[in-house]
Amino acid sequence: MTTFKRAAILIIFLLISSSVNAQSFMTEEGDVEFTSSVPLHTFTGTSSQLKGLIDFDENLVDFYIDLQTLDTGNGRRDRDMYSTLNVEDHPFAEFTGKLTSDFNQDSDSAQKVTVEGEFTVHGVTREISVDGELTLNGDVLKLRAGWIINITDYNIEPPGILFYKVDEEMDIKIEAELQKTEE
Amino acid sequence: MSIIVKQLALKILAAVFLFSLAPEVSDAQLKRERSVTSVLAEPAFSATKNIGISTIINPSGGDLHYSILHTFGLVDGGIDRFYGLDDGANTRLGLIYGVTDRFSIGVGRMTFRKVVDISAKVNLMQQTKDAGRPVSIALKGATGISTVSGQGLDFNERLSYFTSVMFARKFNTVGIQLTPMYSYFNRVLGEDEQHLFGLGMLLQVDLNERLNLSWEYLPVLGNRNPGTDDAMALSLNIDTGGHVFQIFFASSQWHNEQYIMANNSDRFWEGDFRFGFNIHRVFGLF
Repeated sequence: MTTFKRAAILIIFLLISSSVNAQSFMTEEGDVEFTSSVPLHTFTGTSSQLKGLIDFDENLVDFYIDLQTLDTGNGRRDRDMYSTLNVEDHPFAEFTGKLTSDFNQDSDSAQKVTVEGEFTVHGVTREISVDGELTLNGDVLKLRAGWIINITDYNIEPPGILFYKVDEEMDIKIEAELQKTEE
Repeated sequence: MSIIVKQLALKILAAVFLFSLAPEVSDAQLKRERSVTSVLAEPAFSATKNIGISTIINPSGGDLHYSILHTFGLVDGGIDRFYGLDDGANTRLGLIYGVTDRFSIGVGRMTFRKVVDISAKVNLMQQTKDAGRPVSIALKGATGISTVSGQGLDFNERLSYFTSVMFARKFNTVGIQLTPMYSYFNRVLGEDEQHLFGLGMLLQVDLNERLNLSWEYLPVLGNRNPGTDDAMALSLNIDTGGHVFQIFFASSQWHNEQYIMANNSDRFWEGDFRFGFNIHRVFGLF
Protein backbone atom coordinates (compact mmCIF):
# COMPACT_ATOMS: atom_id res chain seq x y z
CA MET A 1 0.00 0.00 0.00
CA THR A 2 1.40 3.36 -0.97
CA THR A 3 1.96 6.18 1.49
CA PHE A 4 -0.78 8.12 -0.23
CA LYS A 5 -3.35 5.37 0.22
CA ARG A 6 -2.38 4.86 3.85
CA ALA A 7 -2.73 8.58 4.52
CA ALA A 8 -6.10 8.75 2.79
CA ILE A 9 -7.45 5.77 4.77
CA LEU A 10 -6.16 7.27 8.01
CA ILE A 11 -7.82 10.60 7.32
CA ILE A 12 -11.13 8.99 6.37
CA PHE A 13 -10.99 6.83 9.52
CA LEU A 14 -10.28 9.86 11.68
CA LEU A 15 -13.13 11.80 10.10
CA ILE A 16 -15.55 8.91 10.64
CA SER A 17 -14.41 8.26 14.20
CA SER A 18 -14.68 11.98 14.94
CA SER A 19 -18.26 11.91 13.75
CA VAL A 20 -19.16 8.78 15.69
CA ASN A 21 -17.75 10.12 18.96
CA ALA A 22 -19.32 13.56 18.59
CA GLN A 23 -21.04 14.53 21.82
CA SER A 24 -23.59 17.15 20.92
CA PHE A 25 -26.87 17.76 22.75
CA MET A 26 -29.81 19.98 21.90
CA THR A 27 -33.13 21.15 23.29
CA GLU A 28 -35.99 23.20 21.91
CA GLU A 29 -38.14 23.27 25.03
CA GLY A 30 -35.97 24.22 27.96
CA ASP A 31 -37.41 26.18 30.85
CA VAL A 32 -36.49 29.74 31.73
CA GLU A 33 -37.63 31.57 34.83
CA PHE A 34 -36.82 35.09 35.90
CA THR A 35 -37.80 36.80 39.10
CA SER A 36 -38.05 40.56 39.51
CA SER A 37 -38.78 42.51 42.63
CA VAL A 38 -40.66 45.64 43.46
CA PRO A 39 -41.08 46.77 47.07
CA LEU A 40 -43.28 44.29 48.97
CA HIS A 41 -43.79 42.13 45.91
CA THR A 42 -42.01 39.87 43.44
CA PHE A 43 -43.21 38.51 40.15
CA THR A 44 -41.98 35.68 37.99
CA GLY A 45 -41.89 35.25 34.25
CA THR A 46 -41.53 31.86 32.63
CA SER A 47 -41.06 30.30 29.23
CA SER A 48 -40.69 26.71 28.09
CA GLN A 49 -39.16 27.60 24.76
CA LEU A 50 -35.49 27.85 25.58
CA LYS A 51 -33.50 26.51 22.64
CA GLY A 52 -29.97 25.38 23.20
CA LEU A 53 -26.97 23.37 22.15
CA ILE A 54 -24.05 21.93 24.11
CA ASP A 55 -21.33 20.51 21.92
CA PHE A 56 -18.45 18.94 23.85
CA ASP A 57 -16.32 18.43 20.75
CA GLU A 58 -16.54 22.05 19.70
CA ASN A 59 -16.69 23.14 23.34
CA LEU A 60 -19.67 25.24 22.41
CA VAL A 61 -22.54 26.26 24.69
CA ASP A 62 -25.22 28.14 22.77
CA PHE A 63 -28.69 29.07 24.05
CA TYR A 64 -31.35 31.55 23.03
CA ILE A 65 -34.96 32.39 23.74
CA ASP A 66 -37.62 34.42 21.97
CA LEU A 67 -38.38 37.05 24.62
CA GLN A 68 -42.03 37.22 23.61
CA THR A 69 -42.53 33.68 24.91
CA LEU A 70 -41.97 35.00 28.45
CA ASP A 71 -45.22 35.09 30.40
CA THR A 72 -45.65 36.77 33.78
CA GLY A 73 -49.31 35.82 34.08
CA ASN A 74 -50.48 39.38 33.49
CA GLY A 75 -51.08 40.68 29.97
CA ARG A 76 -50.54 44.33 30.86
CA ARG A 77 -47.22 43.55 32.56
CA ASP A 78 -46.15 41.37 29.62
CA ARG A 79 -46.88 44.20 27.17
CA ASP A 80 -44.86 46.62 29.30
CA MET A 81 -42.00 44.11 29.52
CA TYR A 82 -41.90 43.53 25.75
CA SER A 83 -41.93 47.27 25.21
CA THR A 84 -39.13 47.84 27.76
CA LEU A 85 -37.02 45.12 26.15
CA ASN A 86 -37.78 46.51 22.68
CA VAL A 87 -38.52 43.03 21.37
CA GLU A 88 -39.44 44.39 17.94
CA ASP A 89 -35.78 45.23 17.33
CA HIS A 90 -34.16 42.72 19.70
CA PRO A 91 -36.38 39.64 19.87
CA PHE A 92 -33.86 37.27 21.51
CA ALA A 93 -31.89 36.86 24.68
CA GLU A 94 -28.91 34.68 23.87
CA PHE A 95 -25.77 33.19 25.32
CA THR A 96 -22.82 31.80 23.40
CA GLY A 97 -19.75 30.55 25.19
CA LYS A 98 -17.74 27.55 26.28
CA LEU A 99 -17.20 25.25 29.22
CA THR A 100 -14.26 26.40 31.26
CA SER A 101 -14.37 23.55 33.75
CA ASP A 102 -13.86 19.84 33.27
CA PHE A 103 -16.80 17.57 32.56
CA ASN A 104 -16.44 13.78 32.76
CA GLN A 105 -18.60 12.28 30.03
CA ASP A 106 -18.17 8.80 31.53
CA SER A 107 -19.93 9.75 34.76
CA ASP A 108 -23.69 9.78 35.21
CA SER A 109 -23.65 11.85 38.37
CA ALA A 110 -24.36 15.57 38.58
CA GLN A 111 -21.26 17.66 38.01
CA LYS A 112 -20.67 21.31 38.78
CA VAL A 113 -19.57 23.20 35.69
CA THR A 114 -18.76 26.76 34.70
CA VAL A 115 -19.37 28.36 31.36
CA GLU A 116 -18.06 31.68 30.14
CA GLY A 117 -19.23 33.61 27.17
CA GLU A 118 -21.32 36.43 25.79
CA PHE A 119 -24.85 37.11 27.00
CA THR A 120 -26.89 39.43 24.80
CA VAL A 121 -30.23 41.04 25.54
CA HIS A 122 -31.76 44.34 24.45
CA GLY A 123 -29.01 44.53 21.81
CA VAL A 124 -26.26 44.78 24.44
CA THR A 125 -23.61 42.08 24.85
CA ARG A 126 -21.67 41.44 28.05
CA GLU A 127 -19.13 38.80 29.03
CA ILE A 128 -20.50 36.64 31.84
CA SER A 129 -19.58 33.54 33.79
CA VAL A 130 -22.32 31.16 34.90
CA ASP A 131 -22.13 28.27 37.34
CA GLY A 132 -24.41 25.34 36.73
CA GLU A 133 -24.87 21.62 36.97
CA LEU A 134 -24.77 19.02 34.21
CA THR A 135 -25.88 15.40 34.46
CA LEU A 136 -25.27 13.03 31.58
CA ASN A 137 -27.56 10.03 31.60
CA GLY A 138 -27.39 8.03 28.38
CA ASP A 139 -28.56 10.26 25.55
CA VAL A 140 -29.96 12.89 27.89
CA LEU A 141 -27.94 15.77 29.29
CA LYS A 142 -29.69 17.59 32.13
CA LEU A 143 -28.80 21.20 32.72
CA ARG A 144 -29.52 23.49 35.64
CA ALA A 145 -28.03 26.95 35.96
CA GLY A 146 -28.77 30.32 37.42
CA TRP A 147 -27.26 33.77 37.55
CA ILE A 148 -28.12 37.35 38.37
CA ILE A 149 -28.00 40.20 35.91
CA ASN A 150 -28.20 43.90 36.50
CA ILE A 151 -30.61 45.10 33.84
CA THR A 152 -28.99 48.54 33.69
CA ASP A 153 -25.81 46.82 32.38
CA TYR A 154 -27.88 46.06 29.29
CA ASN A 155 -29.27 49.59 28.95
CA ILE A 156 -32.68 48.42 30.16
CA GLU A 157 -34.47 51.15 32.06
CA PRO A 158 -36.11 49.57 35.13
CA PRO A 159 -39.82 49.88 34.39
CA GLY A 160 -42.15 51.46 36.93
CA ILE A 161 -45.08 49.51 38.32
CA LEU A 162 -47.51 51.73 40.18
CA PHE A 163 -45.27 54.10 42.13
CA TYR A 164 -42.36 51.70 42.38
CA LYS A 165 -39.43 50.88 40.19
CA VAL A 166 -38.57 47.30 39.36
CA ASP A 167 -35.34 46.24 41.06
CA GLU A 168 -32.29 46.52 38.84
CA GLU A 169 -31.15 43.00 39.72
CA MET A 170 -32.97 40.08 38.18
CA ASP A 171 -32.60 36.38 39.03
CA ILE A 172 -32.50 34.07 36.02
CA LYS A 173 -32.78 30.30 36.20
CA ILE A 174 -32.70 27.82 33.35
CA GLU A 175 -33.41 24.12 33.34
CA ALA A 176 -33.39 21.80 30.35
CA GLU A 177 -33.08 18.23 29.20
CA LEU A 178 -30.92 18.17 26.07
CA GLN A 179 -31.13 15.18 23.77
CA LYS A 180 -28.11 13.73 22.02
CA THR A 181 -28.12 14.83 18.40
CA GLU A 182 -28.08 12.43 15.47
CA GLU A 183 -24.85 12.89 13.48
CA MET B 1 0.68 8.61 -10.33
CA SER B 2 3.64 10.97 -10.24
CA ILE B 3 5.24 11.94 -6.97
CA ILE B 4 4.25 15.56 -7.43
CA VAL B 5 0.60 14.67 -7.91
CA LYS B 6 0.69 12.35 -4.89
CA GLN B 7 2.22 15.03 -2.71
CA LEU B 8 -0.32 17.57 -3.89
CA ALA B 9 -3.21 15.20 -3.21
CA LEU B 10 -1.76 14.41 0.22
CA LYS B 11 -1.56 18.11 1.06
CA ILE B 12 -5.14 18.66 -0.02
CA LEU B 13 -6.37 15.74 2.10
CA ALA B 14 -4.39 17.01 5.08
CA ALA B 15 -5.85 20.48 4.61
CA VAL B 16 -9.38 19.05 4.46
CA PHE B 17 -8.70 17.06 7.62
CA LEU B 18 -7.30 20.01 9.53
CA PHE B 19 -10.12 22.24 8.31
CA SER B 20 -12.67 19.71 9.53
CA LEU B 21 -11.17 19.82 13.02
CA ALA B 22 -11.14 23.59 13.30
CA PRO B 23 -14.06 24.90 15.39
CA GLU B 24 -16.39 27.03 13.36
CA VAL B 25 -18.53 28.71 16.00
CA SER B 26 -20.65 30.67 13.60
CA ASP B 27 -21.66 27.53 11.71
CA ALA B 28 -22.11 25.49 14.86
CA GLN B 29 -24.34 28.06 16.56
CA LEU B 30 -28.05 27.51 16.50
CA LYS B 31 -29.91 29.45 13.89
CA ARG B 32 -32.04 32.09 15.62
CA GLU B 33 -35.70 31.56 14.79
CA ARG B 34 -38.72 33.32 16.26
CA SER B 35 -41.00 31.16 18.41
CA VAL B 36 -43.74 33.76 18.48
CA THR B 37 -45.09 34.51 15.04
CA SER B 38 -48.43 36.07 15.96
CA VAL B 39 -48.37 39.04 18.32
CA LEU B 40 -51.37 40.83 19.80
CA ALA B 41 -52.04 44.29 18.42
CA GLU B 42 -51.85 47.31 20.69
CA PRO B 43 -55.09 47.89 22.62
CA ALA B 44 -57.56 49.99 20.62
CA PHE B 45 -58.61 52.02 23.68
CA SER B 46 -56.98 53.37 26.81
CA ALA B 47 -59.54 52.30 29.39
CA THR B 48 -62.49 50.03 30.06
CA LYS B 49 -64.83 52.89 29.15
CA ASN B 50 -64.36 55.14 26.14
CA ILE B 51 -66.41 57.85 27.87
CA GLY B 52 -69.77 56.36 28.81
CA ILE B 53 -69.72 53.20 26.70
CA SER B 54 -67.67 50.13 27.59
CA THR B 55 -64.72 49.23 25.41
CA ILE B 56 -63.27 45.81 24.59
CA ILE B 57 -60.52 46.48 27.14
CA ASN B 58 -60.41 44.06 30.06
CA PRO B 59 -58.12 44.37 33.06
CA SER B 60 -55.32 41.81 32.89
CA GLY B 61 -55.58 38.69 35.03
CA GLY B 62 -55.11 39.58 38.70
CA ASP B 63 -55.53 43.32 38.14
CA LEU B 64 -58.15 45.41 39.90
CA HIS B 65 -59.46 48.33 37.89
CA TYR B 66 -60.97 51.23 39.80
CA SER B 67 -62.92 54.03 38.13
CA ILE B 68 -64.61 57.23 39.23
CA LEU B 69 -66.97 58.74 36.68
CA HIS B 70 -68.58 62.18 36.99
CA THR B 71 -71.01 64.14 34.89
CA PHE B 72 -72.42 67.56 35.84
CA GLY B 73 -75.20 69.86 34.66
CA LEU B 74 -75.46 71.42 31.21
CA VAL B 75 -72.80 74.01 30.47
CA ASP B 76 -75.44 76.38 29.07
CA GLY B 77 -76.33 77.29 32.65
CA GLY B 78 -73.53 79.83 32.30
CA ILE B 79 -71.41 81.33 35.03
CA ASP B 80 -74.43 81.51 37.39
CA ARG B 81 -74.47 77.72 37.48
CA PHE B 82 -70.67 77.60 37.06
CA TYR B 83 -71.26 75.97 33.71
CA GLY B 84 -73.13 73.06 35.21
CA LEU B 85 -70.82 72.24 38.09
CA ASP B 86 -73.30 73.73 40.60
CA ASP B 87 -76.00 71.33 39.42
CA GLY B 88 -74.67 68.31 41.19
CA ALA B 89 -72.86 65.35 39.77
CA ASN B 90 -73.97 61.93 38.83
CA THR B 91 -71.04 59.94 40.17
CA ARG B 92 -70.34 56.30 39.54
CA LEU B 93 -67.74 54.37 41.47
CA GLY B 94 -66.73 51.10 39.88
CA LEU B 95 -64.46 48.13 40.41
CA ILE B 96 -63.56 45.57 37.77
CA TYR B 97 -61.44 42.55 38.57
CA GLY B 98 -59.55 40.68 35.86
CA VAL B 99 -60.13 37.00 36.61
CA THR B 100 -57.95 36.20 33.59
CA ASP B 101 -56.53 38.33 30.80
CA ARG B 102 -59.78 37.69 28.93
CA PHE B 103 -62.51 37.61 31.57
CA SER B 104 -63.54 40.18 34.14
CA ILE B 105 -66.27 40.81 36.65
CA GLY B 106 -67.34 44.21 37.91
CA VAL B 107 -69.53 46.10 40.33
CA GLY B 108 -70.47 49.76 40.42
CA ARG B 109 -72.82 52.24 41.95
CA MET B 110 -74.06 55.57 40.61
CA THR B 111 -75.87 58.48 42.19
CA PHE B 112 -78.90 58.58 39.89
CA ARG B 113 -81.57 56.16 41.08
CA LYS B 114 -78.85 54.76 43.33
CA VAL B 115 -78.23 52.09 40.74
CA VAL B 116 -75.92 49.27 41.71
CA ASP B 117 -74.72 47.27 38.73
CA ILE B 118 -72.87 44.03 38.38
CA SER B 119 -71.26 43.00 35.12
CA ALA B 120 -69.06 40.50 33.34
CA LYS B 121 -67.06 40.84 30.16
CA VAL B 122 -65.24 38.23 28.12
CA ASN B 123 -62.85 38.71 25.20
CA LEU B 124 -63.68 36.12 22.58
CA MET B 125 -61.01 37.20 20.13
CA GLN B 126 -58.04 39.56 20.29
CA GLN B 127 -56.67 41.37 17.27
CA THR B 128 -53.18 40.38 16.15
CA LYS B 129 -50.59 42.45 14.31
CA ASP B 130 -50.66 40.02 11.43
CA ALA B 131 -53.78 39.30 9.40
CA GLY B 132 -54.65 36.19 11.44
CA ARG B 133 -57.17 37.93 13.68
CA PRO B 134 -58.13 41.31 12.20
CA VAL B 135 -60.54 42.41 14.96
CA SER B 136 -61.14 42.03 18.66
CA ILE B 137 -64.50 40.73 19.83
CA ALA B 138 -65.92 40.90 23.35
CA LEU B 139 -69.22 40.20 25.06
CA LYS B 140 -70.58 42.10 28.01
CA GLY B 141 -73.54 41.38 30.26
CA ALA B 142 -74.79 43.51 33.15
CA THR B 143 -77.63 43.87 35.59
CA GLY B 144 -78.67 47.14 37.18
CA ILE B 145 -80.55 47.35 40.46
CA SER B 146 -82.20 50.57 41.55
CA THR B 147 -81.80 50.83 45.32
CA VAL B 148 -83.89 53.94 45.86
CA SER B 149 -85.99 53.44 48.99
CA GLY B 150 -89.56 54.47 49.74
CA GLN B 151 -91.03 53.75 46.31
CA GLY B 152 -92.86 50.56 47.23
CA LEU B 153 -91.10 48.56 44.53
CA ASP B 154 -90.36 44.90 44.87
CA PHE B 155 -86.95 43.55 43.93
CA ASN B 156 -87.89 42.44 40.40
CA GLU B 157 -89.27 45.85 39.52
CA ARG B 158 -85.91 47.41 40.32
CA LEU B 159 -83.97 45.35 37.81
CA SER B 160 -82.73 46.10 34.33
CA TYR B 161 -80.54 43.98 32.08
CA PHE B 162 -77.98 44.82 29.46
CA THR B 163 -75.93 42.90 26.93
CA SER B 164 -73.66 43.95 24.09
CA VAL B 165 -71.18 42.54 21.64
CA MET B 166 -68.16 44.64 20.78
CA PHE B 167 -66.16 44.58 17.55
CA ALA B 168 -62.98 46.65 17.67
CA ARG B 169 -59.90 47.23 15.59
CA LYS B 170 -56.78 49.30 15.97
CA PHE B 171 -55.43 50.99 12.84
CA ASN B 172 -52.03 52.49 13.65
CA THR B 173 -53.07 55.41 15.87
CA VAL B 174 -56.83 55.01 15.48
CA GLY B 175 -59.06 52.65 17.44
CA ILE B 176 -62.66 52.03 16.39
CA GLN B 177 -65.42 49.96 17.90
CA LEU B 178 -68.96 49.08 16.93
CA THR B 179 -71.20 47.83 19.70
CA PRO B 180 -74.69 46.50 19.00
CA MET B 181 -76.48 46.46 22.34
CA TYR B 182 -79.76 45.50 23.94
CA SER B 183 -81.35 46.40 27.24
CA TYR B 184 -84.45 45.29 29.10
CA PHE B 185 -86.21 47.04 31.98
CA ASN B 186 -88.48 44.94 34.19
CA ARG B 187 -90.60 47.96 35.03
CA VAL B 188 -91.27 50.99 32.84
CA LEU B 189 -93.51 54.02 33.25
CA GLY B 190 -96.05 55.38 30.74
CA GLU B 191 -95.06 54.79 27.14
CA ASP B 192 -91.47 53.90 27.89
CA GLU B 193 -90.07 50.83 26.18
CA GLN B 194 -89.09 47.67 27.98
CA HIS B 195 -86.81 46.62 25.10
CA LEU B 196 -84.23 49.02 23.77
CA PHE B 197 -81.72 48.41 21.00
CA GLY B 198 -78.74 50.60 20.22
CA LEU B 199 -75.52 50.76 18.25
CA GLY B 200 -72.55 52.24 20.06
CA MET B 201 -69.93 53.83 17.80
CA LEU B 202 -66.59 54.53 19.43
CA LEU B 203 -63.44 56.20 18.17
CA GLN B 204 -60.07 56.91 19.75
CA VAL B 205 -57.29 58.83 18.02
CA ASP B 206 -53.84 58.76 19.60
CA LEU B 207 -52.09 62.13 19.51
CA ASN B 208 -48.96 60.81 21.22
CA GLU B 209 -48.07 58.25 23.91
CA ARG B 210 -49.85 60.24 26.61
CA LEU B 211 -52.70 62.04 24.88
CA ASN B 212 -55.62 60.86 22.79
CA LEU B 213 -59.00 62.07 21.70
CA SER B 214 -62.13 59.95 21.82
CA TRP B 215 -65.65 60.25 20.53
CA GLU B 216 -68.76 58.16 20.90
CA TYR B 217 -72.28 58.17 19.59
CA LEU B 218 -75.13 55.96 20.72
CA PRO B 219 -78.20 55.95 18.46
CA VAL B 220 -81.23 54.03 19.74
CA LEU B 221 -82.51 51.75 17.01
CA GLY B 222 -86.23 51.11 16.59
CA ASN B 223 -88.71 52.14 19.27
CA ARG B 224 -87.40 54.54 21.88
CA ASN B 225 -88.65 56.25 25.02
CA PRO B 226 -90.62 59.48 24.36
CA GLY B 227 -88.53 62.65 24.61
CA THR B 228 -85.18 60.88 24.46
CA ASP B 229 -82.40 61.44 21.96
CA ASP B 230 -79.21 59.81 20.77
CA ALA B 231 -76.27 60.44 23.07
CA MET B 232 -72.90 61.78 21.98
CA ALA B 233 -69.68 62.64 23.80
CA LEU B 234 -66.22 63.99 23.03
CA SER B 235 -63.21 63.54 25.30
CA LEU B 236 -59.55 64.41 25.78
CA ASN B 237 -57.78 61.52 27.48
CA ILE B 238 -54.50 61.63 29.37
CA ASP B 239 -52.74 58.33 29.97
CA THR B 240 -50.08 58.84 32.64
CA GLY B 241 -49.05 55.18 32.68
CA GLY B 242 -50.76 54.51 36.01
CA HIS B 243 -53.93 56.57 35.58
CA VAL B 244 -56.14 57.42 32.64
CA PHE B 245 -57.94 60.77 32.99
CA GLN B 246 -60.83 61.47 30.64
CA ILE B 247 -62.02 65.08 30.43
CA PHE B 248 -65.10 65.28 28.30
CA PHE B 249 -68.30 66.94 27.14
CA ALA B 250 -71.32 64.66 26.89
CA SER B 251 -75.00 65.03 26.21
CA SER B 252 -76.02 62.34 28.70
CA GLN B 253 -75.57 62.65 32.43
CA TRP B 254 -76.14 58.90 32.85
CA HIS B 255 -73.37 56.36 33.02
CA ASN B 256 -74.38 52.80 32.15
CA GLU B 257 -75.38 52.10 28.57
CA GLN B 258 -78.96 50.95 29.28
CA TYR B 259 -79.67 54.10 31.27
CA ILE B 260 -78.06 56.30 28.62
CA MET B 261 -80.34 54.75 25.98
CA ALA B 262 -83.42 55.00 28.20
CA ASN B 263 -82.93 58.48 29.67
CA ASN B 264 -80.80 60.81 27.57
CA SER B 265 -82.90 63.73 26.36
CA ASP B 266 -80.15 66.19 25.40
CA ARG B 267 -78.81 66.93 21.92
CA PHE B 268 -75.08 67.47 21.80
CA TRP B 269 -75.14 69.19 18.41
CA GLU B 270 -77.64 71.77 19.70
CA GLY B 271 -75.33 72.81 22.51
CA ASP B 272 -76.91 70.60 25.17
CA PHE B 273 -73.82 69.06 26.63
CA ARG B 274 -72.23 68.92 30.00
CA PHE B 275 -68.76 68.68 31.46
CA GLY B 276 -67.55 65.44 32.97
CA PHE B 277 -64.41 63.62 33.90
CA ASN B 278 -63.45 60.02 34.53
CA ILE B 279 -60.49 58.65 36.41
CA HIS B 280 -59.30 55.10 35.77
CA ARG B 281 -56.67 53.33 37.82
CA VAL B 282 -55.28 49.80 37.73
CA PHE B 283 -53.86 48.00 40.75
CA GLY B 284 -51.83 44.83 40.32
CA LEU B 285 -52.99 42.49 43.08
CA PHE B 286 -50.85 39.48 42.17
